[in-house]
Amino acid sequence: MAITPMDIYKYLPKTNCKKCGENTCMSFAFKLLSREKKLEDCTPLFEEKKYEEYRKKLEELLKPLEEATETGLVVKEELCVGCGNCVVVCPVHVAEDPQGAGIGKGPTIEDPILRVENGVVKIVNMGKCRRYGKERILCVACRDNCPSEAISFLEG
Amino acid sequence: MICPGCSCLCDDIEIMNGVVRNACRRGAEIFLKYKENRSKPIVNGKEVDVDKAIDKAVEILKSSKNPVVYGFDTTPVEVQKLAIDLAEKLNAYIDDTSSFCLGDLVELVLKKEVPTTTLDDVRNYAYVIVYWGANPYHSLSRHMSKYTYYPRGEKRQKGYEEDRFLVVVDVRKSETAMLAKTNARYIVVDNDLELIDSFFKVMEGKAAKYANEVSAVIRELRKSDFNVIFGGLGLKYGLRDLKPFVELVKKLNEISPTYFIPAGFHANMRGFNETLFEKTGFVNKYSFRDNTSKDSYAFVELLKNDTIDSALIVGTDPVKSLPFEIVSKLKKIKTIVVDPRNSLTAKIADVVIPSAISGIEQSGTMVRSDGVRVKLDVIEERDVNDYYVMKRILEGL
Repeated sequence: MAITPMDIYKYLPKTNCKKCGENTCMSFAFKLLSREKKLEDCTPLFEEKKYEEYRKKLEELLKPLEEATETGLVVKEELCVGCGNCVVVCPVHVAEDPQGAGIGKGPTIEDPILRVENGVVKIVNMGKCRRYGKERILCVACRDNCPSEAISFLEG
Repeated sequence: MICPGCSCLCDDIEIMNGVVRNACRRGAEIFLKYKENRSKPIVNGKEVDVDKAIDKAVEILKSSKNPVVYGFDTTPVEVQKLAIDLAEKLNAYIDDTSSFCLGDLVELVLKKEVPTTTLDDVRNYAYVIVYWGANPYHSLSRHMSKYTYYPRGEKRQKGYEEDRFLVVVDVRKSETAMLAKTNARYIVVDNDLELIDSFFKVMEGKAAKYANEVSAVIRELRKSDFNVIFGGLGLKYGLRDLKPFVELVKKLNEISPTYFIPAGFHANMRGFNETLFEKTGFVNKYSFRDNTSKDSYAFVELLKNDTIDSALIVGTDPVKSLPFEIVSKLKKIKTIVVDPRNSLTAKIADVVIPSAISGIEQSGTMVRSDGVRVKLDVIEERDVNDYYVMKRILEGL
């Protein structure tokens, strides 16, 4: 299930107290999702007893964020059949490895983003993904061409 | 390394520190687990040495009146040649899994009834790619990513979204059909013949059941000079009689060059079909006594009708792949199994002769689904392999 900023916002204090350094609770929700802020930055959640239940809900809600990679990519290896569609369609692979992954072979570069190992897809080097870093693009080519839904993103 | 997992025979497998790279789940399993569940030489339930097991096999075949030689779809061409020699010497029936798999489609190609091409050319040039009654997601996991829809090719540099047009013909929304999104068509059929009929009618300008879908496909065909149809079991069993399909391919070639490749099967099934075809002019279910091929000579029919009294089964596991009422008849006849694994068939056989796993422990040549011959690599060569066992049996006779 994808998590939206609205899901997070529902359980925040909604007082816009600015203690976290953000102007509004809504923008804090966005930053939580992009993992630029941590739940601990919202001090009222931890200090005031009336928010305790909400805090617990949030902690549960944000659990998948810890399992996901830096770009929000989640791979469920148990669903993967190793077809390699994701490896071949990845625009970064095509640009950097035109004679390997670009023409359907296994990647010939040392540090591809994804590689099929022991029959299932593994994340090798997330740093190359177009979704990584400040100037990211929300590319979903790998997920769109995964027939077994083994690849998903946090934002859905 | 070459992966012997299916008829894609992927050639980019690497093994680094015990990790198998690039192979799909099925392929990787073969490399990772080839030492598991190995068979032992057995005669009537007792473990013996290999020589004794081979001698017993020779004895059974010598005294048999109606033997069948069956399997060989996972063994190299060199072993298949020996198998055909053996069947000829025994005046036996010979068949492989293609009689209920895609043998008919390979036959179309070998008899040159439809034009064909190679998977490498498909990658470089193909625009319209049709999967008819095939779900490569399950049967040939890397087919689409390595050879057909996804890779970029010489004349197809822009990638699948612009430079390829995917058509999936199936009765259900398979995993492959789910990939037919942009620049693609998924045609749900309940009768393949009606779809073929629709193609003819639309080309004549008449109304038809699948007019919308068919017109879209024809429009795309006109844009290109290289198209390909991959036929799977859905095509074979959807039509039964393949003549209308042959006519359709001919007609489509009037619009734009359209080639046909069987979608795929066991690693070297096409090798068996080609080897038998060279020798006899038939691809499977052949009898050396009558020198002809008949439906009733298929392994399944031979068992069903109690035609045979012994079976030499090499490199296949009918107990696993065929219905119970058919394979239960194996218990009534003498069964010899040559297999590297302790398969379900090996468990019920009278004689079991262990062999080697092609592509890992035995070298040789296999034929890819498009007819390209591929030389296998080995990790550790075994002395007692299919070739050795077949040669010994042949000499014993």
